[in-house]
Amino acid sequence: MELFKYIFKRIIQTIPLLIIVSLISFFIIRLSPVDPLAELKLNPSISPETVEKERQRLGLDKPVIIQYGKWAFSFIKGDLGVTSTGEKVSQKLKERIPNTLLLTSIVIFLTWLVGVPLGIIAAVKWKTPIDRILTVLTSIGMAIPSFFFAVLLLLFAVKTGWFPIGGLTSPNFSDLSFGGKFIDIAYHLVLPVFVLFTISLAGLQRQMRANMLDVLDSDYVKFARAKGLPESVVIYKHALRNAVNPMITLLGFEFAGLLSGAALTEYVFQYPGLGRLILEAVLKSDINLVMASLMMGAVMLILGNLIADILLIITDPRIRVKS
Amino acid sequence: MIRRVFKVLTVILLAALLLKGCLVKDVPESDVKPSEDKNISSDWTYPTPKNVTINGVDYLQSQAPIGNFGGELITSTIGEGPKTFNPFNCKDNTSQVMASIMYDGLLTTDPIYGETIPKLAKSYSISPDGKTYTIKLRHGVKWSDGKPITANDVVFTWRDIIFAGFGDTSTRDSLVIDDKLPQVRKIDDYTVEFTTHKPYAPFIRLLSASIAPKHIFMPAVKKGKEYFDSFLSTNTPPKDFVTSGAFKLKEYVPAQRVVFERNPNYYEINKKDQKLPYLDKYIFLIVGDLNNEVLKFEAKELDVISLQGSKVARYKSLEPHSDFKLYNLGPTTSTTYLSMNLNNRKNKDGKFYVNPVKQKWFQDINFRHAVDYAIDRKNMVFNIANGIAAPLFTPESLNSIYLNKNIKPYDKDLEKSKELLKKSGFYTKKGVLYDKDGNRVEFDLYTNAGNTEREAIGVMVKQDLEDLGMKVNFKPIEFNSLVNKLVSTFDWDMVIMGLTGSPLEPNGGKNVWLSDGRLHMFNMRTPQEGKIGILSWEKELDDCFTKGALATKFEDRKKHYDRYQEIVNREKPFVYIYSPVVIVAIRDKFKNIYPSSLGGITHNIEEIYVGREK
Repeated sequence: MELFKYIFKRIIQTIPLLIIVSLISFFIIRLSPVDPLAELKLNPSISPETVEKERQRLGLDKPVIIQYGKWAFSFIKGDLGVTSTGEKVSQKLKERIPNTLLLTSIVIFLTWLVGVPLGIIAAVKWKTPIDRILTVLTSIGMAIPSFFFAVLLLLFAVKTGWFPIGGLTSPNFSDLSFGGKFIDIAYHLVLPVFVLFTISLAGLQRQMRANMLDVLDSDYVKFARAKGLPESVVIYKHALRNAVNPMITLLGFEFAGLLSGAALTEYVFQYPGLGRLILEAVLKSDINLVMASLMMGAVMLILGNLIADILLIITDPRIRVKS
Repeated sequence: MIRRVFKVLTVILLAALLLKGCLVKDVPESDVKPSEDKNISSDWTYPTPKNVTINGVDYLQSQAPIGNFGGELITSTIGEGPKTFNPFNCKDNTSQVMASIMYDGLLTTDPIYGETIPKLAKSYSISPDGKTYTIKLRHGVKWSDGKPITANDVVFTWRDIIFAGFGDTSTRDSLVIDDKLPQVRKIDDYTVEFTTHKPYAPFIRLLSASIAPKHIFMPAVKKGKEYFDSFLSTNTPPKDFVTSGAFKLKEYVPAQRVVFERNPNYYEINKKDQKLPYLDKYIFLIVGDLNNEVLKFEAKELDVISLQGSKVARYKSLEPHSDFKLYNLGPTTSTTYLSMNLNNRKNKDGKFYVNPVKQKWFQDINFRHAVDYAIDRKNMVFNIANGIAAPLFTPESLNSIYLNKNIKPYDKDLEKSKELLKKSGFYTKKGVLYDKDGNRVEFDLYTNAGNTEREAIGVMVKQDLEDLGMKVNFKPIEFNSLVNKLVSTFDWDMVIMGLTGSPLEPNGGKNVWLSDGRLHMFNMRTPQEGKIGILSWEKELDDCFTKGALATKFEDRKKHYDRYQEIVNREKPFVYIYSPVVIVAIRDKFKNIYPSSLGGITHNIEEIYVGREK
């Protein structure tokens, strides 16, 4: 019951936050010099009447504050509006979200599956060759900029012909059997997943290693060891449970990055996800689409933090007592 | 920020590719000269399809060699892909291309000579007074669902969709003559008559607009304009499309590809009377940027690619030992120019749009000609476009059928420039140019930031003009701000911009050249100002465009449009710089390729087939 009350309180708290986020982003977009009609204005075959009609259709003839009011009102009603080319924003997002989720969830799953154990190993084998090799590898992983790495891999794919040049499916995808489709998608995912995995693995492994080292140095671990407990119990029962708390907070952030974290890599690999859609929307000042994606990002972040906090309450008795 | 990242990325990529190109084979400079680079051999001419009647059905018969059926051609479209598949809602080029594959128009443009020729129509005739157009339709031709294509569809399309203002109204807008629209009338099931109340030459080109199947579009039209705007959108299941073109939609995957498949009811046949097209599938990959397109072509994921400037040299060196062939399609319709602001009026607050001192220079024809002669077009073609461009001197693009061939190209001539400036009282002191009132000649040169080509042109123009002692402040600014300056606030001195025209219809340029046009940049007037302060040669230009649109015969029209090009060349409100040349690479295995400057490489997509491997 306490927990539900807490969740409810947190959700109420997010409302003013969302309003502020939306206000700031709306005004920044609208006050920027990007004119969604610039392209039309410079097209000799388009009449001034058509430009004027477009202005009215996009609501640009009204003051910014009224535009915001209109947008906010329909947003509350659950209507995300239409893009500047007249397509439904919700439809556009629906097309792309599954693709992005597919990519990011595979990456997050893989990095946690590999990164956490590697972090523990490095901490336990502190200052041994294994730890050093891992440190060097993760340094490399952290040092490579993701877009550069992606480009290199693309060039590699062109040279060898081993991998497709971006995208998610082959042109003959719809003619394939179920197994063929699965293999086709997996084949296209290898490179983007590899890029994102390498980059985020490094950070995660180091975080885990640092947490674990902190804990291994603490008094209760020393005490547990002194008590003569077997090393595995010391590490997995006493040390790990304490070391994992900061990681849960991190997981909350990872959740927020589910939809937006891979934008740059998506762009380089021409991956049909949200990244490409939103980048183009921003460049064209397609307000409804940009606002929808920004709000989505904000909601995901808040939600991620909330989930992390709830998980913390469950795993850490100290927080439970305080609240 | 992200844009900058991509710019860096582009540079790295290009460097990598170029480096590789150099390693493969050192490319001699002469290899890439476009003018001498005649990739299109002249030993063939495109055999234009003919009409034949078999068992009462009026087919279009391809005269090209007979090929094999099957296979697919994969090409690409840059950007985010089509926004709609409804031919009447297209506002962007990609959607337009996709829709025109599926929906044929009554007439089309001859890909080689640029004349209007029948397509879905069997034939057409224009009455001697130039007001009545009679269109004969093909007998026995069917939509992809088997229903016949008749005059009802044509009348419905023109009267109930286009004239009624459904979808994108630009076709309708351009047909309003003195507030009146043309009339369309069904004579019988296979004859339609259009009447304009005045002779209006551009109308014939507009008859290439797609024809819609009445039985599919009628319910949508009945539901009103708002419904029509989302009708046949990208979310419509492919099987709901009923089309007349060579291909119909098979699959649309957002941000990835559009797949078209053969329309079994298409009305073109080959010389053996087999139904075309040869290809089973025609695929467009949706590619986000040019670099990715190049990579995809190299990885053989694409069959066709358009190449620009720097990439051509590399492909040229690869061509002999590769599976593709390069075709030079000649100059494009895009024109890059330098314009001076001739505005001498004041804004609402009583301030001059252009500094009165600078006004004197820009309005001085000698000054404008001096600028023109100082610009080294050839140098720009070689250094900026890597030789893959052609110097330009006219507002009509070099492949336009209305190009005035009497306007002769000339080279940079600094002496002449100096002479012209001297004539107007300009003088130089210690290499610095002053006007006759002793003002230093200094002005701003704008272009849109991010367009690397225009930025490079700007730098070279600046250097060329500084040879004359002028001080040029080159300022690339954000595209939207620039457009705002050009069409709203008019506070600019000199600008480098580009426009894309039509090689077939100069009337599209009227917004630029009419003195009250919406894009009459060099002497822009607000709508309230009307035709205030019109210069004598602006009046002449108005005259050319008004008369040119009303004349119907090509020869008559050509006279008017020749004169307009002469006036522009004489008065130099725009100093034209160059037009890029299009080079297209296509895999060898495709046969029946007849590239043309007007139609591109896949204008005869229904005749293209995949050759058997030897």
